[in-house]
Amino acid sequence: MSAVIRVVFKTVASLAVIVAAASVTFFAQLAVPGDRANTLMNLQTGQDKQWTAAELAPLNERFGFDDPVVVQYLDYLNGLLHGDLGTSYTQKRPVLEIIGGQLLPSLTLTGAALLVAWALALGITLVTVKRGRFLTGLGTTWEALTASLPHYWVGVVLLVVFAVQLRAFPIIGGTSAWGSVLPVLTLAIPLAGFLGQVTRDEFEQVLRQPFVTTARTRGMSDLGVRLRHVLRHAILPAVTLSGWALGALVSGAVIAENIFGRPGIGQVLVTAVNTRDLPTVSGIVLVVAAIYVIANLLVDLAYALIDPRLRTAVAP
Amino acid sequence: MTTIPLTTRPIRLPRPGTVVSLLVTGFVVVAALAPGLLTGDSPTAIDLTATLQAPSWQHPFGTDDAGRDLLVRVIYGARESLGLGLGATALAFAFAITLGFTAALAGGVVDAAITRVLEVAFAFPSLLLALLVIAVRGPSLATSIVAVGIGSAPGYARMIRGQVLAVRQAGFIEAATALGHGRLTVIRRHLFPNAMRPLVAVATLGVGQSIVWASALSFLGLGVAPPSSEWGALLDAGRLHITTSWWLEILPGVVIVLVALSVTSLGRTLQHRLGGAAR
Amino acid sequence: MKKTLAVILATASLSACGAAEATSDGTPKTGGTIVYGHVQEPPCIFGGWIQQAYISRQVLDGLVTLAEDGSVQPWLATKWAASADGLTYTFTLKEGVKFTDGTPVDAEAVAWNFDLWENKGGNSTAKVSIDPYYKSAKAVDARTVEISLNSPYPPFLNLITQGYFGIQSPTAYKSRTEKENCEKPIGSGGFTVKEWKHGEEVVLAKNPAYTSWPATAKHEGPAIVDEVRWKFIADGVSRYASLSTGESHVVYEVPTVNWKDATARYQTIRYITPGKPVSFYINTKTGPFTDAAVRKAFAYGADRKAAVEAGFHGVIPYEGNPAVSQSTPGYNAEAAKAYAYDPAKANQLLDEAGWTGRNAEKVRTKDGQPLTIKLVYGSGFIFTQEGATVLQVLQEQWKQVGFDVKLIPATQAELWGGKYSDPSTFDATPSYWTSPSAAILWIVWRPSTTEKPNGSNRSFYNNETLSTTIQQANAEADAAKANALYGKAQQIIQDDAAGIGLYTQNSTYAVAQNLKNVWLEKSQGEPVFSDAYFVG
Repeated sequence: MSAVIRVVFKTVASLAVIVAAASVTFFAQLAVPGDRANTLMNLQTGQDKQWTAAELAPLNERFGFDDPVVVQYLDYLNGLLHGDLGTSYTQKRPVLEIIGGQLLPSLTLTGAALLVAWALALGITLVTVKRGRFLTGLGTTWEALTASLPHYWVGVVLLVVFAVQLRAFPIIGGTSAWGSVLPVLTLAIPLAGFLGQVTRDEFEQVLRQPFVTTARTRGMSDLGVRLRHVLRHAILPAVTLSGWALGALVSGAVIAENIFGRPGIGQVLVTAVNTRDLPTVSGIVLVVAAIYVIANLLVDLAYALIDPRLRTAVAP
Repeated sequence: MTTIPLTTRPIRLPRPGTVVSLLVTGFVVVAALAPGLLTGDSPTAIDLTATLQAPSWQHPFGTDDAGRDLLVRVIYGARESLGLGLGATALAFAFAITLGFTAALAGGVVDAAITRVLEVAFAFPSLLLALLVIAVRGPSLATSIVAVGIGSAPGYARMIRGQVLAVRQAGFIEAATALGHGRLTVIRRHLFPNAMRPLVAVATLGVGQSIVWASALSFLGLGVAPPSSEWGALLDAGRLHITTSWWLEILPGVVIVLVALSVTSLGRTLQHRLGGAAR
Repeated sequence: MKKTLAVILATASLSACGAAEATSDGTPKTGGTIVYGHVQEPPCIFGGWIQQAYISRQVLDGLVTLAEDGSVQPWLATKWAASADGLTYTFTLKEGVKFTDGTPVDAEAVAWNFDLWENKGGNSTAKVSIDPYYKSAKAVDARTVEISLNSPYPPFLNLITQGYFGIQSPTAYKSRTEKENCEKPIGSGGFTVKEWKHGEEVVLAKNPAYTSWPATAKHEGPAIVDEVRWKFIADGVSRYASLSTGESHVVYEVPTVNWKDATARYQTIRYITPGKPVSFYINTKTGPFTDAAVRKAFAYGADRKAAVEAGFHGVIPYEGNPAVSQSTPGYNAEAAKAYAYDPAKANQLLDEAGWTGRNAEKVRTKDGQPLTIKLVYGSGFIFTQEGATVLQVLQEQWKQVGFDVKLIPATQAELWGGKYSDPSTFDATPSYWTSPSAAILWIVWRPSTTEKPNGSNRSFYNNETLSTTIQQANAEADAAKANALYGKAQQIIQDDAAGIGLYTQNSTYAVAQNLKNVWLEKSQGEPVFSDAYFVG
């Protein structure tokens, strides 16, 4: 297969995944019981009653809630083809704009959390793997412990200790760098535990490989061996998981956003689902799916860079 | 909120750790099966004269705003929390085994289709999945199980598919086939046990993760209905109290972490014993 | 944060109205930015949800406002008169007031706003407040606007003091996109929307040309501070803690566990919302509560007062009157005393009603059916964790008299989507409805008929005597007589246990010591920032 065809195929497949995810969301939301017009009326009035058909008619008319499902879907797809994700029922703004405003803070948060998690995981692995019973035990316990932490709990404990008591960080830091430290840690600490577990497993395997012994006999220092030879191999599986982790972090972000009063896509998603804001929900899924796909393409690339064996396999 | 597709190679915990893990897990299992053995009190018994009491001999975990004993509530919450962890993991595995085996064994178009579906499922934010499930069914224990279970299924499915493919290449399967054993017999007697063995440990780890996951749903007000003392719900109920009555937030958190940690480390020990890798 | 630490200026505008004498706390300053921590972010700045009234009050002015003593006072209208037959209200507008787009606030504009709310779907809560009495609005001349009613409705003036009745510039509304109107409505208020950072905050900037402060204002002239940053901080722990670190100056909805601490460290304001308190609608159409005796047993069967005190840590008052809260004009305090906790009485009523059997769980039964009550409540948005505790205490007490109460948390999507609107889906459901007038009774308890359904009557309680009484009250020009009739209506509801009282809806605020003159408007408890100033 030529390189061009391969790339085209991969792109088409990726696009298919993205559109499929948005479509699934579209239909899943139609399956949710309850009337969208009724929800909107209640949202606009802060009530929780059943409105009459006459009261709901203008909204049904305006948003086409009464149209056959197929028509609604085709409308939606048609919009997608033109790069239009629709307009929010509640905020009256284009979905693209809603997401656009919230995407960057979310991406910064999750991206930074991923980086910090990596740094923590690698640091602890390098220091503690195969270092005698005590240190190793400490490292593994730390990883298993942090991997078991509920996000909310980490967030609120960090908040109370570092922002309220020690005043080291702002409580409502918004998107400022200093204010992002605690939200990032909230997401990064549990993730680091998880990545650490994966990396440690691999690290131990690699340390037993013959080439490591060879390197040592050549007089290379222990740290040198760990950094130059073992690390490169040991992080491969965790790199694979990073693409996945980015997607999962978007979900976890809502908690950090909520506690630290940070803007972001997680909170928008929760509100949109609650208010049956179908275009916004579908739009967010589309964007998150796209990020996931891109992240995985990047992971493939990173893989090739780290593991020379794969270069030939991937290259045309 | 992380559904963690788990690693699979052994990590040695220090021995005392294993002992502690066994003790904690044993205690929780007893609490889940027969809470009455551990406490004579009711988890919903209110005492408006003894609200928000700090931990003491009488109330080792303190009391909440309704004067309910937090330790008793934690003990009675074990059944739902553990049930949630086990239920969600079982559900996830049911989905995953079906999809994973079908994909790996059928191959060709079916495999490609299932792989694509899994790809879409991965790209779907797990939070949204949970929100939609709850929007359809309303918040309850069963809903949480379904939401968490479905959310973690794709990861397991992918793992199982890989495992089946790997085992199928192994010599003993070829040997069994060569010996003239029927296809189903080979699957049932050789392929299934060998492919699943490493995943037993993975499942154990999933239980702990599911409990953690579910606490995130409680945070969003989408957890189990009160007066349940499912641990995630306790965590949510304690949040406003963290600066005034710390025990209501800190202690349930410690319990969740301790149990998840214990189950995880036991899973790893088990994995080590069973040997093998699932990747 | 851009904090203008202006040079200390004891300004003329401050001392002019005497509101800001230099105190021992420090010297008044002009300028600065107030950071306000609110809870929920509305989809648009204005609308029919109370969350929108809070913020639109900063940007839009109303025709009239409510004073502390409950009297209606001038705002955009300097004076008004009702015709002898009570069918026409003539308002005279303040001279020279301009919207922030430069167009005049004239009679034409006011009439157009009424038309927008009533006939163009502009604000369905404004509409329901004055339906079906409102007939039309017309501009007599540039400064005189006339509102006609279908029948006399003395609460009319009171009702239009609500934030839903904020006047917008018709020119801006008609010429701009829906999105612009949603995000930056143009009014004549003390502030304008400078920027809405969605998910984070709305930045309100001082309107330097402000001339239309209400008669209740604490100083004359434009806002003293430069900006208000209206932040959305959903988490109660963070919101309250942000005051202690100086990251905010005012916070809304102080967690009740922190209230005592707040009263010691900050200026606190507690506002008991008038209107329908948080009380249970009792399904009188299907299920066990069709029998009034069972409803009464339910009311007697739990110590609602003690439960409210426990759940809200003694901060929020119990309200025994299910129809209107204690801060509402025309409140019937006698009716509120009914059904004090009396388990013996509850047991007796249930025995008499035939619920004499007991199943294995000690739940009462009748003809083999257990006495199960489906209690549906809005989880996380109507009921906070504190409210959920109240419900759990009640549940436990109801259990003692033989009720098996199932607490069913409902999500916003479920509740608003109509999942629990059918009588078969619930037996009791708590909710509230703020209103500065007892006329709320008509909105909630108007009988629901096939021709004219009333979705707000969630008790499905159609009582002709009640209906007539409320209508008489609504039409009664003499306030004392009207209140007597409203009181009678509350008694009818209470006597028949068509609703069961629980607690008052409150707004609580904590204000930093260096910020003075933050006050709440009377009709809905919205914070007013245009008079506030820093000292230091």
